Amino acid sequence: MSLSWLRIRTVVRRNFVVLWRSPHRWFDLTVWPLVDVVVWGALGAFVAQENDASRAGTPYLLAGIMLFHVLYQSQIAITTGFMEETWTRNLLNIMTTPLREVEYAIGLGLYGLAKLGLGMTAVVITALVFFGFNLAQVGWALVPIALVLLIVAWAGSQFVIGLMLRFGQSAEILAWGVLFVIMALSGVFNPVEAIPGPLQPIARVLPTTHAFAAARTVLDGEPLPWGEIAAGLAGAAVAAAAGLAYVVRMLAVFRRRGYVTRFS
Amino acid sequence: MADVVLEATGLVKSFGPVRAVDGVDLSVRAGERVGLLGPNGAGKTTTLLMLLGAITPDAGTIEIGGHRLPRQRSAAMCHVGFAAGYLPLPDRLKVREALSVFAGLYGLDGGAARAAIADALERFRITRLADRPCEQLSSGQRTLVGIVKAVLHRPRLLVLDEPTASLDPDVAYRVRQGLLEETATAGTALLVTSHNMVEAERLCQRVVFISAGRVVADGGPAEVAERFGHGDLEGVFLELAGTLEDGR
Repeated sequence: MSLSWLRIRTVVRRNFVVLWRSPHRWFDLTVWPLVDVVVWGALGAFVAQENDASRAGTPYLLAGIMLFHVLYQSQIAITTGFMEETWTRNLLNIMTTPLREVEYAIGLGLYGLAKLGLGMTAVVITALVFFGFNLAQVGWALVPIALVLLIVAWAGSQFVIGLMLRFGQSAEILAWGVLFVIMALSGVFNPVEAIPGPLQPIARVLPTTHAFAAARTVLDGEPLPWGEIAAGLAGAAVAAAAGLAYVVRMLAVFRRRGYVTRFS
Repeated sequence: MADVVLEATGLVKSFGPVRAVDGVDLSVRAGERVGLLGPNGAGKTTTLLMLLGAITPDAGTIEIGGHRLPRQRSAAMCHVGFAAGYLPLPDRLKVREALSVFAGLYGLDGGAARAAIADALERFRITRLADRPCEQLSSGQRTLVGIVKAVLHRPRLLVLDEPTASLDPDVAYRVRQGLLEETATAGTALLVTSHNMVEAERLCQRVVFISAGRVVADGGPAEVAERFGHGDLEGVFLELAGTLEDGR
């Protein structure tokens, strides 16, 4: 049986209707991006004011937090899309329809992309209006950088969903928690060398580290470092393959052990 | 047999040391109304969830509408509608929106989906609920909307787990009447679990009793009651529940 575009579209539509009917969910799309940009932009502006040598800090911080939102918005959209089915005890309802797992994953991924567009619009406008910073100055180099981050977000959401399938709703906290671990270890705002020594080896293997490093290089007016992008894409591909394998395995465990009753 | 909608053979499922289902064979013919009965812990819900592809059996085969699970789960589920008394539709959506989502998942789009939703709501006489948020529905209304969700695509097999549990008698009566009309007019087969033996007698042409994961009786309600030496199914149920308490 081939993939059904109608079922994929339905998954996207379901999530948008839920978003529309849940004003508290707009926080992720409006307030959170605004707060992040204001906090990091203000910090950058203050440091630049105190020390003329660190003028580059503001773009670094703003580009860092904006690109972090590519990761954040994508992963949160996908994981909360799945969580919504558990919160509303709808998992068994959808599991007993013809919807295939791959269609569900594609639907959530597309919803994540669309929600990312909305979230990034808020981030870009806030940075432009308050700090005169335009992310577009990174230019077309944004495409491969964002691609690395999107793949990592997708992989991360597979791990979180897999953990929820295996351990139940108590694993929800990881949806947000994992992102901040990545934030701390990826050098979102700073080079790897600024991260404490013992953590640097971990930082260097994270694909996100290479994406953020590439963005800073471009902001410095240098050409896109394709080596960083290649390393980021390679790491992201490994993470995606591992995430997919993990969620497929956890789904098998979920079905074998009858964990669906936890959510119904 | 062309008119067999569901055919399950030798279903076995253990959870750790507990064997929840122990060699269940079950078939349902087109248009047939079958009750899957038994005391708590007998293995009814586990059996249903295996038939729906939500739990993987340790052994046995399941075929629905000619499609084998788990490999052809998606094709098989096109023939199945499922609802349970304990399973509401998503709270945040209005009834029509929620039904529209399920119509899409069952392959109905645009005008066909709208027509199917209007028709199903009308068949169960709850058109007035279409624009109410699901979270504002009473238990009975939720049950009816759940069943409407399950019949939107005119399935060949309707699977219901405890559809009238915790409902007032008048609402339970309406649910039963709706199901009888649905199966009569659409020729849908019904597989239903219930703890209400009077309901099973009224709703089902055939009952399958499960005890300790095994099928212990299969036949017409009166025939099964007679075989156990009771006047009705409640006597059979009580006997089987006592059997479980004795540890057999």
